[in-house]
Amino acid sequence: MSIINNALSGALAAQAALNATSQNVANAQTDGYTRQGALLTTVAPSGGLTNAGGGVQVSSLIRFSNDYQNQALWSSNSDLGAKTQTQPYLTQMEQVMGDDKAGLSAGVDEFFSALNASAEDATSSPLRQAVLTAANDMAQHFNSIYDVTSNQVVSVNQQRSAALPQINQLTSSIATLNQQILSVGHNTNTSALQDQRDQQIDQLASLVGVQVTTQTDGTRDVSLSTGQPLVSGALASSMSFDSSSGTPVLTLNFANTAFTLDDSKIGGQLGGLGDYLNNTLLPLQQSISQFAGQLSSKLNTQFEAGTDSNGNPGQALLQYNPDSGSGVLQVPTTLTSDQLAYSADGTPADTTNLQAVIAINNQTITLGTVGSVTVGDADTQLVGKLGIDSQQNQALLTTATTIRNQAEDDWKSTSGVNSDEEAVNLVAYQNMYQANMKVVAVANTLFDATLSMFGS
Amino acid sequence: MRIASSQFEATMNRGLEFNQENISKLTEQLATGNAIQLPSDDPVTDVRLSRLEREQDTVTQYRANIGALKTRLSNNESYLTGVVNDITQASDQLVWASDGSNSSADLNSMVSTLQSVRDSIFFAANTKDSEGHYIFSGNQTNTAAITIDPNAAVGSRYSYTGDTGQQEVTVGNGITQTANVNVKGLDTYLNQLDTAISELQKPGVTGGDPALAASLKTALDGSSTALSLVSSTVAGLGGAQNVLSTLDTNHANVSLSNETAISDIGQLDYGVASTELNGYNLALQASYKAYSKISSLSLFNVI
Repeated sequence: MSIINNALSGALAAQAALNATSQNVANAQTDGYTRQGALLTTVAPSGGLTNAGGGVQVSSLIRFSNDYQNQALWSSNSDLGAKTQTQPYLTQMEQVMGDDKAGLSAGVDEFFSALNASAEDATSSPLRQAVLTAANDMAQHFNSIYDVTSNQVVSVNQQRSAALPQINQLTSSIATLNQQILSVGHNTNTSALQDQRDQQIDQLASLVGVQVTTQTDGTRDVSLSTGQPLVSGALASSMSFDSSSGTPVLTLNFANTAFTLDDSKIGGQLGGLGDYLNNTLLPLQQSISQFAGQLSSKLNTQFEAGTDSNGNPGQALLQYNPDSGSGVLQVPTTLTSDQLAYSADGTPADTTNLQAVIAINNQTITLGTVGSVTVGDADTQLVGKLGIDSQQNQALLTTATTIRNQAEDDWKSTSGVNSDEEAVNLVAYQNMYQANMKVVAVANTLFDATLSMFGS
Repeated sequence: MRIASSQFEATMNRGLEFNQENISKLTEQLATGNAIQLPSDDPVTDVRLSRLEREQDTVTQYRANIGALKTRLSNNESYLTGVVNDITQASDQLVWASDGSNSSADLNSMVSTLQSVRDSIFFAANTKDSEGHYIFSGNQTNTAAITIDPNAAVGSRYSYTGDTGQQEVTVGNGITQTANVNVKGLDTYLNQLDTAISELQKPGVTGGDPALAASLKTALDGSSTALSLVSSTVAGLGGAQNVLSTLDTNHANVSLSNETAISDIGQLDYGVASTELNGYNLALQASYKAYSKISSLSLFNVI
């Protein structure tokens, strides 16, 4: 009586398939859940030419997963992470430096305007005082913009330091999951563990650029896109900043081997932040400092060459302290308005030296990021460069977002749950179950018919 | 292509986010009227705007300088016009004194008039501005233009103690205008007047006195020299006013064209912006409609 056994195997298979469907429906909204399905295979007949077969069996559960799509998901997340993290810093810098009132241009323009106004009546104390006030104001503009860059450096470093424990926690967690998958894989469905591991790889990919290789035993090895190993089987690395040399050096420790990493080239959020720090923020900060230094040096030299309204030799207008915590530029507190050296020949109303000071606005200075520029145009070019950097990052961010969205869509098209499809499966397997039960009933009727032959 | 249920939701979210982001940006633009909110919106235009605004600032400063300078020159002109009147008055008096028929008493009575004219010119030459700086002493603004030494011999008591320095004010790109004039030369005239006065006040002086006649002739000649000196300075001031007015008009034109350029490239085109806003609004409303329709579709509702 293989009919009843076949029917039983069909009912059991339908149950297994319904079970998979119910799991899919239950996890329809679960992030990173990979849908499953029952793989039904025919049981071959044990012998005899007229035996149709031994029923059906669930040979395994299918995990609807495409490794190419996984890889695309991960690599897109690294690019997205790199561009997302830097954009807020760029936008803040643009907002501050590009502001009509707060920008360096505003301070420098105001100062040269005050000088020009003072030239109209060189002996007038209020006009001279206005120059001193404008010089102070210009120094404050430099200081506050410089402060913003300093605060960003601190903030970027804090954010990078905060990313390291996350990275280390993720690598060790991935290694642990690898081990679990390996140890229970022969008799347990590891789909949930794999989902968990792949999601953690995705999170890790957002923090640093990774390359993932799948081993034949089902474990995944993760390495940095620059090649250094992060996870190998059940072994995990740890990352840290080594500050022993003064400047923090990103170091990776794997199995007692230390690798020195280029923190601006490792991709992901960490690499994006490092790239912004080393290639945008620090050069910009240096340029602002150079701007302050060269402008103050030119002004001081010219003022010191002149004579003040009392006939005394001119004094320096600005103090430049690139390493001071209180600001890069300061007007000496002892400097008074009559000490501004406008005169070249020692007479009180002569403005020859003042004209030479005003001409500094059109002289060139050399800044690291924009090269040789005039004093008056320096800030415009710095802001222009910053705007272009930001625009470029925004364009790359848009591209990265599009690619990530596409990768997510692709991944979902294979692995995501479609509730209509599950509804169809539900009905189909329910019907299959009921049909098999009917077969049992028919078999039973046949059995009864056979028995009744003997009962009469 | 197979579409997962959550993919439909993600697509919907992305669409809503995209529209709302653009609406928010447009609202910001409409609120400020500026096409560019951040340099990265259009770095090249931002640099152009920044340069135009800087040029505009400079031109505004030049125009402010011209305004202040015109006032200053016009004050100088008023003072010097007063001096011209004084010289004319002295000259009339000297002509009258030169008449040989004047009695001793007549001549003595002319002294006080000439003295007051002499002192008036002296004070005018030493005019100070509101901050106490001498305006006619060249660049030596802390020193009186003409000083008097009461102990010196008559005829050399007045001397010019300023210099001929010029205070240059920038009124345009590479254009300067001298803001001051000096009264060098008036000291000589004052000495000539002083000599004539001392001759006139000698007791018993007569109209035919040769020393008096000589001093009066020198002072009269001096009058015309001083008159042409001061008049030409006044004329120079008037000329400078004209130059400044022309320059100011040029600056005003540049300023206007800068303003036009700034508004052309920096101002938001409200028409385009509001059309775009409508477009995004429509898309958003359509998305809401689509979502409410599609989200209610499920096979589970009918099995």
